[in-house]
Amino acid sequence: MTDCTCMVQQGQISAEQQATLCTATSDFAQKHFGTPANINWVEVPEGSGFTAAKPSTSVIVSVRADRSLSPSERVPLLHELEGIWRKHAGRGPDEVVSVITDPAQ
Amino acid sequence: MPLYIVNSKAGAIPEAAKAELANDLTRIHCEVTDAPPTFVHVFFFDDAPMPPLGDKTAMVYGQIRHGRTEAQKAQICAEMSAAVADRSGISKAGIQTFTTDTPASWVMEGGDVLPEPGEEAAWLAAHEAKMATQRADA
Repeated sequence: MTDCTCMVQQGQISAEQQATLCTATSDFAQKHFGTPANINWVEVPEGSGFTAAKPSTSVIVSVRADRSLSPSERVPLLHELEGIWRKHAGRGPDEVVSVITDPAQ
Repeated sequence: MPLYIVNSKAGAIPEAAKAELANDLTRIHCEVTDAPPTFVHVFFFDDAPMPPLGDKTAMVYGQIRHGRTEAQKAQICAEMSAAVADRSGISKAGIQTFTTDTPASWVMEGGDVLPEPGEEAAWLAAHEAKMATQRADA
């Protein structure tokens, strides 16, 4: 399984959106890293998330790759992952943080 | 990025203090690193599994970009621990603060791969120009 952590602000993502996002993120992991995503879905309690010291609308999605990635390989994947979350979470470009890490050493 | 996760025992950090504390942590990060506040995230949790509290009352875990000096990281930890103590009344002994490094090239925010430390001003100017163009085209 591909480890994945999704941090969202409580009350800002519907159950339907969550289901779609989990499916799309898992499909992404299967396509690029060979296994579906093991998703740790974390909701920041309402009133407890801040970005630039203001109430946050940000989502943070972090996926662990199955191999060390070169920049030329990682950047298109970051764009694809960000696109999934912008589309299905209904976020603007400044509201999505996408992270693809190398495997743990 | 950076992302600061503040995990504490339930009620140890009053709800009313969280906005002010988020402002403190954001300011400290920016003052120490000279980075803009635009993408500084501070998320609070009560009794979350990560980072584990152990025998502490509050834990501040910062995921920051790789490239900060050890002195900068030590200053961030010291000043953030003091801020948590000041805002919550938790003793400094009950607070632990630590950071881990993430390569900037692993993170995309606002549709752009994050800049290396020290390159923030040029990155932010280019990013804001791109966002303005996108808004104008929309």
